[in-house]
Amino acid sequence: MNDSPPQEITQLLLAWRSGDQTAFDQLMPLVYQELRRLAQHFINHERPGHLLQATALVNEAYLRLIDSSRVKWESRAHFFAVAGQLMRRVLVDAARERQSRKRGGEWVQVSLAEAVVIPQRRSADLIALDDALDVLAAMDKRKSEIVVMRFFGGLSVEETAAVLKVSPDTVMRDWQLAKVWLYRELSKDEGDEA
Amino acid sequence: MKVMKPERWRQVERLYYAALEREPDERAAFLGSACAGDESLRREVASLVAAGDRIGGFMEPPASFAAEAPATAPQPSMIGQTLTHYRIVSLLGKGGMGEVYLGEDTTLGRKVALKLLPAAFTSDRERLRRFEQEARAVSALNHPNIITIHEIGQVITEAGGMRYLVTEYIEGETLRQWTERGPLILSRALDIAVQVASALAAAHTAGITHRDIKPENVMVRPDGLVKVLDFGLAKLTGERTGEWRSERAAELATLAPTPPLSTDPGMVMGTVGYMSPEQVRGEDADAPSDIFSFGCVLYEMVTGRRAFARQSAAETMAAILQDEPPEIAASDKDLPCELDRLIRHCLEKSPAERFQSARDLGFALRELLSGSSLVKSVSAPARAHAHPLDHRAVWLAAALALLLLSVALYLFTGRGKTIDSLAILPFANASANPDAEYLSDGIAESIISSLSQLPRLRVMARSTVLRYKGQEIDPRKVGRDLHVDAVLTGNLIQRGETLIIKMELVKVEDGSQLWGEQYQRKFSDVLAVQAEIAKQISEKLRLKLTGEEQQRLTKVYTENAEAYQLYLKGRYYWNRRTPESLNKSIEYFQQAIDKDPNYALGYAGLADSYSMLGSPVGGVSPREKFPKAKAAALKALELDDTLAEAYAALVLVRLRYDWDWLAAEKEIKRAVELNPNYSMTHQLYADYLRVMGRPDEAIAEIKRAQELEPLSLNTNAVVGVHLYFARQYDQAIEQCQKTLDLDQNFAPAHLFLGWAYVQKARYEEAIAAVKKATSLSPSEPRSVSALGYAYAMSGQTGEAMNILDQLKELSRRRYISPHDRAIIYAGLGEKEQAFAWLDKAYADRSWPLPLLKVDPRFDSLRSDPRFADLVRRIGLAP
Repeated sequence: MNDSPPQEITQLLLAWRSGDQTAFDQLMPLVYQELRRLAQHFINHERPGHLLQATALVNEAYLRLIDSSRVKWESRAHFFAVAGQLMRRVLVDAARERQSRKRGGEWVQVSLAEAVVIPQRRSADLIALDDALDVLAAMDKRKSEIVVMRFFGGLSVEETAAVLKVSPDTVMRDWQLAKVWLYRELSKDEGDEA
Repeated sequence: MKVMKPERWRQVERLYYAALEREPDERAAFLGSACAGDESLRREVASLVAAGDRIGGFMEPPASFAAEAPATAPQPSMIGQTLTHYRIVSLLGKGGMGEVYLGEDTTLGRKVALKLLPAAFTSDRERLRRFEQEARAVSALNHPNIITIHEIGQVITEAGGMRYLVTEYIEGETLRQWTERGPLILSRALDIAVQVASALAAAHTAGITHRDIKPENVMVRPDGLVKVLDFGLAKLTGERTGEWRSERAAELATLAPTPPLSTDPGMVMGTVGYMSPEQVRGEDADAPSDIFSFGCVLYEMVTGRRAFARQSAAETMAAILQDEPPEIAASDKDLPCELDRLIRHCLEKSPAERFQSARDLGFALRELLSGSSLVKSVSAPARAHAHPLDHRAVWLAAALALLLLSVALYLFTGRGKTIDSLAILPFANASANPDAEYLSDGIAESIISSLSQLPRLRVMARSTVLRYKGQEIDPRKVGRDLHVDAVLTGNLIQRGETLIIKMELVKVEDGSQLWGEQYQRKFSDVLAVQAEIAKQISEKLRLKLTGEEQQRLTKVYTENAEAYQLYLKGRYYWNRRTPESLNKSIEYFQQAIDKDPNYALGYAGLADSYSMLGSPVGGVSPREKFPKAKAAALKALELDDTLAEAYAALVLVRLRYDWDWLAAEKEIKRAVELNPNYSMTHQLYADYLRVMGRPDEAIAEIKRAQELEPLSLNTNAVVGVHLYFARQYDQAIEQCQKTLDLDQNFAPAHLFLGWAYVQKARYEEAIAAVKKATSLSPSEPRSVSALGYAYAMSGQTGEAMNILDQLKELSRRRYISPHDRAIIYAGLGEKEQAFAWLDKAYADRSWPLPLLKVDPRFDSLRSDPRFADLVRRIGLAP
């Protein structure tokens, strides 16, 4: 089982929600660790080629780490928002490592990042998406946050709205434009436009 | 990729949405003129618009990743084929029962799971008939934790006849996938266990044994709901029955067991590990056999290890007959000793010594889950010798003790002063299922509303007690804060059809318990339980009730439990007051009415939802929603003319849409008479008095509502609004600030604060307050309008015009009340425009228009004859 019992992790989540930033700093590595562990397990035990939604992992991490009877709906959304950021890191790190390996790296070590095999096309996409998200964040932080929460964290529009303290309407609009922008940027890289 | 300057990006964003508002063939022209002189801007927006047309489902499924790259496995031949009206989409898995496919029901358009049963299993007609009978019987139980079977059929293929089984498709993972990743946290494991036990209890009651309980047969959906699969299938395939065992015993004793139809050696091991001793011995398996298997599964969930894991199937079977699994405490110190005892009670070798029913087992699990008996193992040794969980005796003793205690306390407190005020705190939802939230909120709310009808009892309103939701509660402290004599706390567990409600009524003065009770009922009895609770509380409070009051207290508003449940869901969403949640609440109220067409409260709820949608909160034209609200309110009254909620719903329509002041006054007085403790009625009465131009009386009345809900954000803010319309701006500012002390993020209080600052000519503060309101609640045009008005009054004409443009832009996408623009024009002193927009507001029957006569923002128009004319048209004396 986890090193930190759910009571403690739940407590950290609640403390962070009531404004304790150090609780957040303690929470992040714990959630990251659990996500990596779960991803690793998935890789080792799943049928080859079986596709898993990142959000399913986030969901399971939540159920495993958090005592849901003590946590309100909004806090759950906050957890998912954080886990979404971490999931982005787990996946993008894996994709980057895979890309560098493709360029002649050794096949010996099996770290998680190497084991998360993202079909080649996908891993290139993921890296491009990651870069594009950084650019988007520089122009419009909220939109990039919405993409991370929805795409990597699996938050619903309403949950995203609650985390960002904006209306669901705003989230819908932002999400729509962010997707269009990303879509255009990513198709540019493919050489659609000169 | 270039990073744009944020200002530039915002410009792009605005134009992008503006372009989307246009018809596709007008967009290019629009962008051409809007970006005149800025070619790169035009190109940027145009390329985004073009990308939007091609985007398809880009990023729609969330991110996913794969296990080791697929070795381009050959597609199983079934995929793409059609079986009667099922199209086979993909292979979900293979098991002892054959292959399972994801299918699509082409007539109903839903996803299904298709199990193709190998011919070898279906050759025995008698067995097949029994299986079909059982499968239908279990499915007919309609239990939430049992998979639904849609169809059992047969098709003729080239290879001969083939049986297939069509069930609902369950998204999620099997419990096997969960346990493989390590032990589950305790509350999660117990939650799953409770749901499995509930499924077993239902099936056993119907005389059906599962015979093959194992992690593979338990699905866990992403939302936490558990479904037990394959009831009775084991009997069909013979895999776990005595017949199978005797036939295969010889094979099992050898090194390489050959399970039927499977080449996966883990398969039979998996199954063997969950067999009961009687199954191992080849005897017939009854309900206690399922309980044994269940014990093995629960053991594995909490420890991450199999209860009986040996090198070979034969050794495993021997272990099942002879050995005890290692203590669970050895694997994790945090596991309670009660859990260890519970599991051992499941794993007794003799069927007669196990839990005698899955119902008893479920009850013991729920007790563990509710945490009341989660005693850590440290203090265990002395108790470990007690007879393993003789829970009946424990319960009897506990019940007796409770009874004695409450009698003693009752006699004791009887001599004290009577209790005439009460706070009922939201019940804690102790189920792991967050969906039960509406139920725990709703039941407390129902008890509040029935008790608040008693004239000699002051009951804190829902919105006030809601602030304590989800908090650690010290009843005495809460009681002192709210100035009440007694506090009721409770918690609720819903598990399938069963509902457990625990309550405690505490006297604030000395912290003594006036009453405590636990109800365990079927869900369908929830209505009766509530009436009973309300009655018991009033008795404990020694309230002397008249016959009519007695009757009202125990009144049941609908006999239909489902309708009631839907009503609670409706109120839950109604209370959230966003356009989305209001639409959702309408759906639920409508469904409640569908279940019980005579459900007056359901109609009152429906009326309230439509009205709120037509208010500034809902953002829909009043003309669209209020007629529906009125029809629903009238229907509610037709069904029950003693219902304060129904009168209140109608009064809202009278005041804000019909502008029928006479009817409003008559009906609101009746509502107050029917339920003097319903805060809403006082708010509506205050609203009426304000419209009538009687501000002092309005303030007195709204303060009555405030007394009932001292901590309600909304009521507190509305007190501020009344002070504002009474032109007591300093007091209004003070009241809004007090409200913000309760919650800094309550947008309406910032908005009303802004209104008041403008009238004090403190424009900078006004603008800051209103901006805060818009940032907290961007979908509210009222705040945008208030900002425009503040700019106009402070002489920042350009900014005010900008806001007018924004509202215009916004109005392309959603309904904007004309009143919002009239205010800004009034502030700018543009009389013609102001009157033009007020006329439109009149035509739309805008929500705030009845306040025209008392609204300080229109003071600049008062001397104009058109103003008096408009006031007259609204039905008020100028």
